[in-house]
Formats: sequence, structure tokens, C-alpha cells
Amino acid sequence: MKKALTLGIFLVLAAGLCTIPVFLTFGQPAATDMDRYFVEHGQSQAAANNIVTSIVFDYRGFDTLGESVVLFTAVIGVGLLFRSMKGGEEHEDE
Amino acid sequence: MRMSKIVRTGANLLYPFIIIFGLYVIMHGHLTPGGGFQGGAVVATAAALVIVAYSYQEVTGIIRNVAMKARESVGLLLFIGAGIAALAVGTPFFYNFLANSGLLFGMPVPFGPNPGDLNTAGVIPIMNVAVGIEVWGGLAIILLYMLSSVAKEGS
Amino acid sequence: MIDLIIHALVIAGLIISALMVFFFRDLLAAALAAGFFSFLISLEFYILQAPDVAISQAAIGAGLTTAIFVIAIRATTRYEEGNP
Repeated sequence: MKKALTLGIFLVLAAGLCTIPVFLTFGQPAATDMDRYFVEHGQSQAAANNIVTSIVFDYRGFDTLGESVVLFTAVIGVGLLFRSMKGGEEHEDE
Repeated sequence: MRMSKIVRTGANLLYPFIIIFGLYVIMHGHLTPGGGFQGGAVVATAAALVIVAYSYQEVTGIIRNVAMKARESVGLLLFIGAGIAALAVGTPFFYNFLANSGLLFGMPVPFGPNPGDLNTAGVIPIMNVAVGIEVWGGLAIILLYMLSSVAKEGS
Repeated sequence: MIDLIIHALVIAGLIISALMVFFFRDLLAAALAAGFFSFLISLEFYILQAPDVAISQAAIGAGLTTAIFVIAIRATTRYEEGNP
């Protein structure tokens, strides 16, 4: 029963994966308006040759700010998690 | 508890080259594929190589805990400071005020494929350096914390 | 034609390395196979013309994740126990 269920889920997922290339042709995205805008105006507005970096750091700068803050918070979380192992037992008495 | 002599010699040999490559990816982030996060991750890989090869007592002599914490904090502060500096000159937050201005990193870029100049892209290289330093310190400090707990458990 | 052959080889290597991760009893070898899987994925990204993602995948997936696995294996046992 369990094996049949696993096989059925696997077959459904495989069939879905195989039908995706039928409906979506590779290399032709559905919406290209923003891509056109960035390719045409990126070099004159942001003055960078690498359009990807100019999007990440200029057009979508707030996203990068959030990403940096998330990384900082993750480091603080890891530091809090390993704090007790690093400090030893002398802090528990206080 | 450390790896064999082959691993330690290879780590010593590769450590400066990986750091140089990562700094190249960070510094040329506005010209070639890559950028602050990718270059910082490459530099952190060099730290990870040393951290894996040596024991915790030897790693703290090569990669210092305080220096990595300082790198992370200074990187994030420099990144936010580059955003606030746009407010100081009268433009919106995070505006690219140095682009096409003729000052530092301020040369204009012609349209179309061109070889590229390092002195372009305004505030983007500064942010690249900031994010690269921050990712370097952050990922290395995560690995150092994990190795410190491992060293405590093993002894 | 040569692009198609390289593409097929990379995808076959992806499947083989994923199966190696699943079947290895030596956990250090399994971690290294996972790193090789990430490296092949970064090669696939490069073939699909996304070099930025390829660099970050090669650094994070193949470098740092493998390092974290090696540190974790160093603190625990190297060989998996029990019946599969």
C-alpha cells in the first residue's frame, strides 16, 4: 500500500515535470517588458556593464539591504546558539 | 584533532590564491559576472579550507575571531552608510548619486558591448566591497562558532 | 552538438552523484559526493548562461556546505550504523 502510494506520487510528479517543457518553450519568457527596460537603460542610468549587479545594487537596492541584514541576524543567531558551549559552566551560577 | 599533512600543506598553498580570486570577483563586480555576495562567499571558502584542515587552537592563530566579527560589522555599516550618503547630498535613500558624475567611479559607459572600465558604476563598487567584506566575516564566523563547539565537545 | 553532449553528461553525473550520496555508508564520502553534486549543478547553471548563480552555488554549495558537513562528521561518528 505504502509502496504503491510512493510510486503513484513519483509518477504524478514525473509526468508533471515532463509536461512543463511542452507548454513552456525554453528561452522565451512570458513577460519581457522589464527585461527590455533594463537592457536598454541599464548602462546609461546605472553606468555599469554588468546589468545583473546594477539591478541587485541599484534598482533593487532595498532587497540587497534586507539580505545583508538577514545574514547579520543569522550570524547573531548562530552566536547565541553556540554561546553556552563556548563559555563553559561558569556562567550558569550567576 | 586535525587533518593529515597533505591537507594542511594544500590548504596553506591555496589560501592566498583563493583570497586573491575572491577579492578580484568583488572588485570587478560591476564589470564581470559576480559581485559582492559571490566574491565574499569565495573568500569565505578560503577560510573554510583552513578551518577544516586545522584544529581549533591552530585556526585561532590564522583566522582571528575578533577580526571576522569586525569585518562583518564594518561591512554592514559601510553598506548602510553608502545608502545614507545619498540622503546627505539631497537624493533619495540608496540613490546611485555617483554615477555619471565624473567623481570617484563616475565615468559614463557607452551603450552596447564594450571592454569596460573599472572607474565606472558610481556607488555600486563601494556597495560591492561592503557586502563582500560582510559576507566574508559572516560566513567565516559561523564556521568558527561551529568548530569551537566541536573542539569543546571533543576534549 | 558538443553542447548537447556536455549537457547530457552533466545531467547524468548529477543523477549518479545523488545516488552515491544516498547509498554511501561512509559519511565523509557522502559529504564529498554532495559537494560534487553542488559542483555539477554550478556547471549546469554555467551551461544555462547564469554565471552569477554558478559562482554563488560553487562557493556556498560546494565549499561551505561541505565544510560544515566535515566539521559535523568530525564531532560525531564517521560510519553510518544500523540496517538500511
